[in-house]
Amino acid sequence: MKALLFGMIAEKANASEIAVSANTTHALRLELEQRISGLDRLSYSIAVDRLIVHDDVPLIGNEEVAVLPPFAGG
Amino acid sequence: MSDVRPHKVKDIFVEGAIPPSFIAESIAKHSTRTDIGAHEIFLGQVRGDSFVVSHPEPSRRTNHDPKNTLRQVHHDSRVTAIEYTTYREMAMERMTTLREEAFTRWPTMTCLHVHHSLGTIKAGELCFMVFASAPHRQQAREAVAWVVDAIKSELPIFGKEVLSGGDHLWKSNS
Repeated sequence: MKALLFGMIAEKANASEIAVSANTTHALRLELEQRISGLDRLSYSIAVDRLIVHDDVPLIGNEEVAVLPPFAGG
Repeated sequence: MSDVRPHKVKDIFVEGAIPPSFIAESIAKHSTRTDIGAHEIFLGQVRGDSFVVSHPEPSRRTNHDPKNTLRQVHHDSRVTAIEYTTYREMAMERMTTLREEAFTRWPTMTCLHVHHSLGTIKAGELCFMVFASAPHRQQAREAVAWVVDAIKSELPIFGKEVLSGGDHLWKSNS
């Protein structure tokens, strides 16, 4: 599956999306932090189907997953 | 007037700055609604923050630690613009929910209009507008204050602050 990247995270990865193999959101965090340099030092959120998830939830592969840096609207 | 329906999903995003003339036109559009007694408008403007150098270490300049490092190493840097991007699908879903909640909390509110800029907005230009109208001022005031805070904390909008020296920082509301 792919994960959508935004803002400073897209900048760090030099991409707007990244192919991932994780099957939970916790595993996704570990996978992303291994592959995107400096991500482990950032505060970021994971959205699954456009809702932010705080707990570790399973991913079956057809979800819309996004990695969101701090919000800055307004 | 179709835009007074509370649950209509509208794209809040506009490319570029919000022109002051657009705000005047928005106000004018409400003149036929004689049930309205109060308008409340919040306008966000891009601030040209300046940074004072405390630790000049140009060799350590990095974009990977935007919180403080850049601010410490730069000479007389200032924000010249903010480049806004968004995760549009999620932002619109959140906005629809916020809008419904606002009309539940302030049921006599007549209408609520929200516009947020995307792209490069220069310091001094307007990037955000929340406009509520109601029969009386209290509902409009409370609704605007609540909606502005909710949008800043809940909508996935990202802002890259472009600095005068060519570097940049990432804005964070949290």
